[in-house]
Parts: sequence; C-alpha cells; structure tokens
Amino acid sequence: MGVSNVKQWSRIVKEALDRAFFTAKFLCLLHVSNTYLCTVALAHGPSMLPTLNLSGDLILADRLSVRFGKVGPGDIVLVRSPQNPRKIITKRVVGMGGDRVTFSVDPKDSRRCETVVVPEGHVWIAGDNIYASTDSRNFGAVPYGLLQGKVFWRVCLFHLLISFHNTFFYRLLHFILLWGYIKWNIIFDCLENFRIEKDNILNHMPRK
Amino acid sequence: MKCRRFGGKGEEDMGALSKLSQWRTLAREAAERTAILAKFLCILHVTNTYICTPTLVYGPSMLPTFNLTGDVLLVENLTVRMGKVRPGDVVLVRSPENPRKTVSKRILGMEGDRVTFMIDPKNSNRCQSVVIPKGHVWIQGDNIYASHDSRNFGPVPYGLIQGKVFFRVWPLNGFGSLRQ
Repeated sequence: MGVSNVKQWSRIVKEALDRAFFTAKFLCLLHVSNTYLCTVALAHGPSMLPTLNLSGDLILADRLSVRFGKVGPGDIVLVRSPQNPRKIITKRVVGMGGDRVTFSVDPKDSRRCETVVVPEGHVWIAGDNIYASTDSRNFGAVPYGLLQGKVFWRVCLFHLLISFHNTFFYRLLHFILLWGYIKWNIIFDCLENFRIEKDNILNHMPRK
Repeated sequence: MKCRRFGGKGEEDMGALSKLSQWRTLAREAAERTAILAKFLCILHVTNTYICTPTLVYGPSMLPTFNLTGDVLLVENLTVRMGKVRPGDVVLVRSPENPRKTVSKRILGMEGDRVTFMIDPKNSNRCQSVVIPKGHVWIQGDNIYASHDSRNFGPVPYGLIQGKVFFRVWPLNGFGSLRQ
C-alpha cells in the first residue's frame, strides 16, 4: 500500500515538472519573440490624433526594422522617452541623421518656424497632433538607439471593447491568455499520447 | 532487411518507399535538432536578459581600469532596468553618434547633478560646469586624454544604457568584481 502511494506521488510530481518545463519553454519563446520579432503596445494620449485614438489603441510594432536600420521619415515608431526612461512614447519620424527639418515652434501662439539639421545617429520625431505633443520640438533630436520598434499594424477589434470599462479589457486579455495556455496543454497531451502509442507500436513490431 | 508485408510488389517499389522513409527520418531528426537549438537559444536569451551576459571591451578610453587589448566582462541589466545605477558605476552605453556601437564608460553624474569637467586636458587647464537635464546621465572614460564621451557629445539619455559591468573574467590577473 505504501509503495503504490509513493509510485502515485512520483508520477504526479513528474507530471507537474513536465508541465512546469513546458510552461517555462513557452514563456521563453514568447519573451524571445517579444524582444526580437514583434511586440504589442497600448498607445493612448492626444499627441497622435487623428491617426491613433485618445483613449487607446492596441498596436503591433516589429523590432527587426529598427535593428536593421530600415526606419525612415514617415514611419510611426515606439521611442523610449529621453526625459523619462521608463516611458515609451509613440511618434512619427520626420527626419533622419543629416536631414534638415523645419518646424513651427509654438503653433498655437505664433507662426514662427525654425530649421534644424538633425545630427548623425539621431532622429527627429514629431506627433501628428502638433498642438498637443511633446516631441523633438521640446527635447531635441533623439539618438537612434532609443527607438524600440516600428509600428505596422493596429488591432481594430479592441477599439470597440476599450470604449467600455477599462477593467473589462484586462479581464478579456487574461481570459485569452489562459485559454491559449490551456489549449497548448491539450496539444502537449495529444503529442505525448501520440509518442507513447508510436513507441508501443515500434516495440511490438519484431514479434509479428 | 527485407520487409515481407508488401509481398509480391517487387523491388523497385521497395527502393522508392525506403528512400521516402529515409528522407522522412532525416527530416524528423533535423527538426528535432533545430528544436533543441531553438530552445537553447531561447534560454540563452533569457539568461542574458535577466541574469548576466559576457562582453569583450577594448580600446584606450578606460585605462587603467580596462586593458587596451581587451577584457572579458560580465554585464547585468537588472540594475539598469530598476533605475539603481549610481555615479561611479561602469556601464555599457549605446553610442548616441553611432547606434551600432556600444561603448563602456563610467557614470559621473545623474540627472540634476552639476558636473565639472576639463574640456581639453592635453592643452589647457580650463574647466566647465554643466547641469545634467532630466532623464540623462553624464558618462566619461577613466582615461580623459583618450576618451570620446559626454565631454564631446553631451549628456546621454538614460534609455541608452544597456547594462552595468560588475565582474571581470579575463585577463585572469584581474579576475574578480570591479571596485571603485
């Protein structure tokens, strides 16, 4: 009786360890693809109106373009703010290193313009809504190394859900993540069963 | 080893089928090896991000702390991400002039500090004082005669800091953690 208990426990512990390893591998893969391939961001604020919403837009940004230097004027990029390193802002690239950029200093009060040459290794970023945007007109050209990703896709589905309560959106996101995790576990079980059956068949073959 | 299950079909079909199964075994083995390699690279990436990563630094700008010909150092970036970098730490910084280059320098001042530095130590004794703006740091090489740093390109944004150096692995006579 004691022996069968120990056997059961060891089986349960082994299964728990297998699941834990599988989860760890999945999270590693997610982390790697988030760092090197594509990342998700929630952009909110008035500085990119009318392109992006005031209350929030779920956008996808790819990291490969920034790594290989394929960012150019007109691209919307995610930038780590030079004034607050914990904040990531969404702006449009207006000029690259070496370009001459003309901008209106204070569009609400006057029509005065200034021209600036962007230094090498820097980019000039500006929000689409020049009346409500802190960008390179305030803190100057930002070094290229602060760029985090180039935005290429807006997920429109969540626009409808965000206009409801904010916590509903987060609950939905958690539900989707949990569903994805459970589905992967089921697939993992199927693969395990397939492998066990295949081993059984291969073990039985020489007898025939 | 002849398989008797397909009795009566002849040897040409057997040749084609066995070649197909050979290809399938090869493909499966290649997929398994690639999966193992991918898992290893993922774990390496996670270790580099959350624990530490080794780097090779060379150049004259951090003499006598680091050698001219090259030192292998261990760099961690948890301290950077938590914002606990302090003046006196040696850090790896992505150069603001060339985004593909990563340089190693020492932090002399954080945001709000007033930094006094010699503009051109080889020619004159003239000093200048600067207040570091918000969100920026002042980096300087230990060898002020041969270092291209914040005295040339100004304070750099904190977001450009890639990691903090905490241990030296090579050369072996300098093995150990770095002290100021």
